[in-house]
Amino acid sequence: MNDLVVVGAGLAGLLAANFAARRGASVTLVAQGRGGLALSHGCLGLGSVAHNPGAFPERHPYRLAGFDKVHPAVAGFQQLSQAAGLEFLGDPETPLQLPTASGAVLSVHFAPRSLAQGSLSASEKICIAGIEGFRDFDSGLVVRGLRRRGYRVDATGLSFPSGRPGRDLYSTDIASALDQDWQSREIARLWAPRLNKVDRVGIPAVLGLAHSVDILTSLQSELGLKLFEIPTLPPSLPGLRLERALRRAALAAGCRVLEGPMATGRLDGTSGGVRALGLSTWTPAGPRVVDAGAVVLATGGALNGGWRATRSGRIHESVFDFPISAPEDREAWIGERLIGPHPYDRFGLTVNSRMQPCGSDGQPFFANVFACGGLLGGADRRTEGSREGIDLVTAYAAVEAALS
Amino acid sequence: MSQRSTQLLVVGGGATGLGVAWDACLRGLDVVVLEQGDLAQGTSGRYHGLLHSGARYVLSDPPSASACALENVILRRVVPHAIEDTGGFFVCPPGDPGEFPDLWLDACRHQGVRAEEITPANALETEPLLSPQITRAFRVHDAALDSFDLLHALAAAISAAGGSVLLHHRLVRLTARPDGFLAAASESGDRLQYIHAQVVVNAGGSYAGKVAALAGSPLPLALGRGAMIAMATRLVNTVVNRCQPPSDGDIIVPIGTVAVLGTTDTPVDSPDDVRIEPWEVDLLLREAAALIPSIEDHRVLRAWAGVRPLYRPPEAPESETRNLPRTHALIDHATSGGPARLFTIIGGKLTTFRLMAEETVDLVAAQLGSSVPCRTADTPLSPPPPRYHRLPYRLEKLSASGAANRQGVICECELVTAEAIHSALDASPTTDLDDLRRDLRLGMGPCQAAFCAYRSAGLLGGREPGVDTNPGLLSFLEERWRGLRPLVWGHTLRQVELNRRVYQDLLALDDR
Repeated sequence: MNDLVVVGAGLAGLLAANFAARRGASVTLVAQGRGGLALSHGCLGLGSVAHNPGAFPERHPYRLAGFDKVHPAVAGFQQLSQAAGLEFLGDPETPLQLPTASGAVLSVHFAPRSLAQGSLSASEKICIAGIEGFRDFDSGLVVRGLRRRGYRVDATGLSFPSGRPGRDLYSTDIASALDQDWQSREIARLWAPRLNKVDRVGIPAVLGLAHSVDILTSLQSELGLKLFEIPTLPPSLPGLRLERALRRAALAAGCRVLEGPMATGRLDGTSGGVRALGLSTWTPAGPRVVDAGAVVLATGGALNGGWRATRSGRIHESVFDFPISAPEDREAWIGERLIGPHPYDRFGLTVNSRMQPCGSDGQPFFANVFACGGLLGGADRRTEGSREGIDLVTAYAAVEAALS
Repeated sequence: MSQRSTQLLVVGGGATGLGVAWDACLRGLDVVVLEQGDLAQGTSGRYHGLLHSGARYVLSDPPSASACALENVILRRVVPHAIEDTGGFFVCPPGDPGEFPDLWLDACRHQGVRAEEITPANALETEPLLSPQITRAFRVHDAALDSFDLLHALAAAISAAGGSVLLHHRLVRLTARPDGFLAAASESGDRLQYIHAQVVVNAGGSYAGKVAALAGSPLPLALGRGAMIAMATRLVNTVVNRCQPPSDGDIIVPIGTVAVLGTTDTPVDSPDDVRIEPWEVDLLLREAAALIPSIEDHRVLRAWAGVRPLYRPPEAPESETRNLPRTHALIDHATSGGPARLFTIIGGKLTTFRLMAEETVDLVAAQLGSSVPCRTADTPLSPPPPRYHRLPYRLEKLSASGAANRQGVICECELVTAEAIHSALDASPTTDLDDLRRDLRLGMGPCQAAFCAYRSAGLLGGREPGVDTNPGLLSFLEERWRGLRPLVWGHTLRQVELNRRVYQDLLALDDR
């Protein structure tokens, strides 16, 4: 029997599994799919939680978890990422301004070194390089976008020495070729003539999955300049690197991982409905029961399947079928424009300050079920810039509550 | 300021307008067509894709039924490349009134519309998703007609015959002169082009009222908005009709890779009112469930609406559009105190566009003193130059090109390559992603532009470094959003959220 079963292998679930395992708990991580990190820029945006916590409304996940959790959660993340061989730069007070693949600016508080080195400054001129034959990053779009915003930028085109596969290139193709052989000499020979008099050059984030730190270091020293990466269209390598590191860290800490099955909550018929026993999962070999002292739901929001919405206007959580309140009229879920705020952004599970899902009466459904991450309602993560911060802080708080 | 003169000016480049121009070209007339948008941007490109057998209208509108039956045969002969002979079923779900099918079958015989009863088991064998409880089934000669292909073929035939099709030209003035008309059209909102025309045909469809108003001649129209839903997969291979009087949600049409559920009919005031409301979506899915009970288990892809222009005879009631006659009307404005040599052709159906054109040009030719007879019924249209429109064509082309010289696939859902985009851009002056979509089906597949919008914006920017592609990228995404917004639950909600993750979170796209 596990102390804890965590459902979901996105950022919140992986962090929760790691935090719990590092506290000595026996943990099983159950995940239906890969989690959302392949879609992530792999940085940590906290929103204004460090300098202006008053900006967050009542029932906001930060507020429920407690602002006092922010500091230890961030410290926990830094320990974890360091131990996993990732180097994150930044601080919780001042956001980094990083260029995106459309030439817009992304504001985050912590970023892996390869991205953080792209931090924009008004005075310094930078160069953006596209990769020949790679469709998921366009240097022209980056340059035009940054120039519109007043930055001084040039564009160039580069190529990799390894032959192209007989199909379209994805970020992961280039990354795995570099992981096997990072060819810094050959690359430097190819690139050097194109990077004359350039101090800092931004390229798509394709510099390896497993060996990204080594690849970056060796390329920089061969070229004698600073390289930085910009996240591409998915699959996004910085997110995948974080996923890989956190998975390996969890396994190394003794966490078991059960991948693929759909999970359904299992209730204890003898507790008077007070406790959950754990999960039933549907594996290819048939149903399997995962018993646990406590369950942490980290199943994500609308995209990742943590909650589902029907045409009739019902929204429910996926594992225990907890109700999620929303207007019946679907028109009230959405905004006018795609690229803009939508009311459904704030939809999600209601929890109390112990991160226990609760009903409209404020009473928890079960004493030993907890929730964190994108599944929680009450936040506009995009506008706040707080998506990863909420994952981190609520995962930390949920594990603390579940193990206490 | 540029000027030209022509014998016939056709306003509107939908099926009707292009049909008129094609017919006139074949009779040796000099023709110019003005289209305010792109080919298939209006109602012709926003229909469910059905080539009517006529069976739908045998009881409610017999003249339309016979016209459809005749035109169905003619179009199969002259535009075979735009038609897929799917065949059609009329089926009776349990609970539908029992006396209708016999009345209907009888009327089919009277109107010369072929219909043959088959056993429900027979129908189910062909279409396994059909409700196993259907009580009766009939086979009719419906087919799927791709209006994009039809319009491209017509436009190519008109150009080849010496006519001009001016896209993105909006008529702004139409002044009667003793010898005809002086029309002014603006191209992309700025430059004015003046056209002297001896005769003007208003084939403006749902915009025909606005065109007639420019000439100072009122036109009583009833506009009806029809909403449709494309299911993400081709659920049926046969057109499936519900055997009952025409009503909302009575048809499923397989077209290309999707199946289209049609349609509703809501009176609207403006031709631009194509916004779909949740009740329309609910109704279409509920009605389709009578034909395919598992419909809710399948993914909906997109919803859209077209505005039907129907001529409202002075005696028809104000409140209704469904039961106005579907037959077309040909109006000589001179007979109602309007200018001479202005004709409006309005109403009808896409299936009858050729017949409507024939009747119109008969009148126009007489006016111009020509006695050349109509030849459209027996002059096959050449297939248009490949527009990469059909998935098999693109798949074949993609697998034929060797690994060495192949260019990237920009839109994976619809297999649109960089090469196809470049040649479409070389062939026309446009740099609009939405025009590329209509030409190539860019962004029309299951992911609704999640990946190709960015890639193609990059490609456009590479061709024209001076142009800021950001507004075009945003408006393309917003255009895709219009078809998704009535469907935001289940899978579509997840798709929308994926697209927002990419464009708002990874790319931080905004209108700055």
